[in-house]
Amino acid sequence: MFVQTLILGILVGGVYALLASGLTVIFGVMRIINIAQGAFIIMGGFITYTAWKRLGLDPLIVVVISMIAMYVIGWAIYFVAVRPVRRAPVTTSVLLTFGLAFFLEGVMGFIWGNNSVTVRPSYVDTSLHLGQFYLPQNLLYGFILAIVIMAALQLIFTRTWLGRSIRAAASSEDAARLVGVKISAVAAVTFALGAASAGAGGAIVSLMGPFVPGSQILWITRLLSIVVLGGLGSVPGAVIAALILGVGEALMSTYVSPLWSPALSIFLIFFILAVRPQGILGTKLREDVAQ
Amino acid sequence: MKRKSILLLSLALIAVLAVALFAVACGGTEATTTTAAAPATTGTTAAPATDTTGAPTTATTVANAAPLKIGTSLPLTGGKSVPGSAAKQGYEVWQDMINTAGGLLGRPVELVIKDDASDQNTIVADYNALIAQDKVDLLLGTFSSLLVLPSSAVAEKNNMVYVTPTGASPKIYERGFTKTFMSQQALAPDAGKVFANYIANLPADQRPKTAAYPTMDDPFTAPVIEGIKAIFTAAGIKNVYEVTYPEGTTDFDSIVNAIKSANPDVVVHGAIFEDGVAIVRGMLKAGFKPAWLFQTTAPSTGDQYAQAIGPENTEGILYHMSHSQKANTPGNAEFVKRYYEMFPEAKDLPEDVADAYAAGQVLAAAVTAVGSLDQDAIANWLHANPVETILGPLSWDAKGIPQGEFMIAQWQKGLTEIVLPENVATAPIIAGWKPGTPVPPK
Repeated sequence: MFVQTLILGILVGGVYALLASGLTVIFGVMRIINIAQGAFIIMGGFITYTAWKRLGLDPLIVVVISMIAMYVIGWAIYFVAVRPVRRAPVTTSVLLTFGLAFFLEGVMGFIWGNNSVTVRPSYVDTSLHLGQFYLPQNLLYGFILAIVIMAALQLIFTRTWLGRSIRAAASSEDAARLVGVKISAVAAVTFALGAASAGAGGAIVSLMGPFVPGSQILWITRLLSIVVLGGLGSVPGAVIAALILGVGEALMSTYVSPLWSPALSIFLIFFILAVRPQGILGTKLREDVAQ
Repeated sequence: MKRKSILLLSLALIAVLAVALFAVACGGTEATTTTAAAPATTGTTAAPATDTTGAPTTATTVANAAPLKIGTSLPLTGGKSVPGSAAKQGYEVWQDMINTAGGLLGRPVELVIKDDASDQNTIVADYNALIAQDKVDLLLGTFSSLLVLPSSAVAEKNNMVYVTPTGASPKIYERGFTKTFMSQQALAPDAGKVFANYIANLPADQRPKTAAYPTMDDPFTAPVIEGIKAIFTAAGIKNVYEVTYPEGTTDFDSIVNAIKSANPDVVVHGAIFEDGVAIVRGMLKAGFKPAWLFQTTAPSTGDQYAQAIGPENTEGILYHMSHSQKANTPGNAEFVKRYYEMFPEAKDLPEDVADAYAAGQVLAAAVTAVGSLDQDAIANWLHANPVETILGPLSWDAKGIPQGEFMIAQWQKGLTEIVLPENVATAPIIAGWKPGTPVPPK
């Protein structure tokens, strides 16, 4: 049972990493904690549901559509709602995105209703069997997709002009502006990329079980704890933290009690803030050093 | 200028996307629940009531009277939106039918429905607002014991009768309240009693030897599971796994893995909806099939449940049931007919709809019998008299505890059948859970 629990924990951790990647990218560049990321994920799930139900497309193909749709939505939301508060204190953006999350929940309720929806392609409740162990296909595909998206994000950040611009803006906006980086455009693209990764995550979440617009609230606490644990702004850190949380929750659920699983993420936030405030792979901000 | 252009472009983009998604999601032609229900939610004060054919009825004169406002707050969004939305439909059918029949105390019924977002704090604010600001004449209850617990306290404090379609947790009736009445047959500890006794009385060679009891940490589901466990334990069925998980749990594969390791003959699951679906799907993924599967609530949500786990995987799943479309109870046929007329997109009739309708029936019966809105008189009448509903006759003790017994239903060939008690059964019980059984198209 222990090995199977580890397998399940690692696969779930991979899905968590995919879901958290957008949140940490947005913070890394914009210093905005996007509380609406859970709503983005569920919106990605609903887009997947619609494409699967109405057009008969496989959810794994819909990942691309969902990402594009969420990229566009993220881009538009940035200009309408986020841009005006981008230079405001972080608490302002937290409040704004908190409100945005519930606004999006209302929009989803208006479009898709508040009844539960389920995406069930033929393979969704099947597993690959390796000896006495099993790998649920929905989690396996989520895990693989997480690796692909993370690798793509890493490639964008390290091998493209856009990525260099994003990293330059994350490092120092003023310096980046001096060398010709258009900060506003970079911020918009980053926010849209974060939303696009939520679109991919939403496609996988839709394969995990039924969901309603209100399901967005289930994800944000866990995702925040992952990005804090991994280091705000660090994608590799988020991956490590997601795997720690995925395996930790699975072990906690199996050997202690599922009642304590949600507490694990909160405990990890307390622990990391006390021991290593910048997170596993995060770097200290100048403000941190000054203190 | 450029910024303004981008802003306008963004707004236009959002509007276009919203319209496009709405069109695609609704298939362009299907009426939504909200649309279908809209005339009912606004009450009938502006237009004469009509019968099911649309012809004017004797209620025309009633429509001119001041409306009788009945307030409720339901979980229309959030984690309990599935039963909450169903309850809203039930109330709307009741409102439509009672207004068609002449209203209540000669006045048209106007529902004031708020959304508590499945939140215990919000529902307290909602019921306070219904009483203090909306000044409703009567109250109807909400969905799930979790929300009935605080909302019934608001009603009691304001000396108002609170007839609720759910609220089976014993905790609700241990507070000395006198005005809370649940419009179902029994409380949670007895909800699975008929099923548990059936299993316990099976011949020894057919009786399960071991049982697992996963349940959500919920004031309704946990007592149901405890009630069944007590009977099973007395019958010598060994408890091999027991776990309570919190609302909002998303990873059920680890729980299923533990259940599979314990290898029980029967799984008795205290579920609400998403968790019920997730455990079944988890067992399918794990390749684990217990001989018997009983779940609370989730299987009663009808087509939503079947679509969520796959209709072919429903065969043999058991659950407690308060209402059957086939029941020969007074007014049931008319209720079922009107429901499908008002909600033509509905593929079936979840019992949550019927429970809400029955709550309206109970309230109306008491108000009509008393002939006034005197809350003490209404409560006293309900303590002393049974009420005929579409669920069958309901009656309550001094604490407001219903004195009946739930039926047990089973999914068979993609439909639900009453299987226990045998005297009301619509089909014989089939042994065991048989996922992967082909289901004939509806």
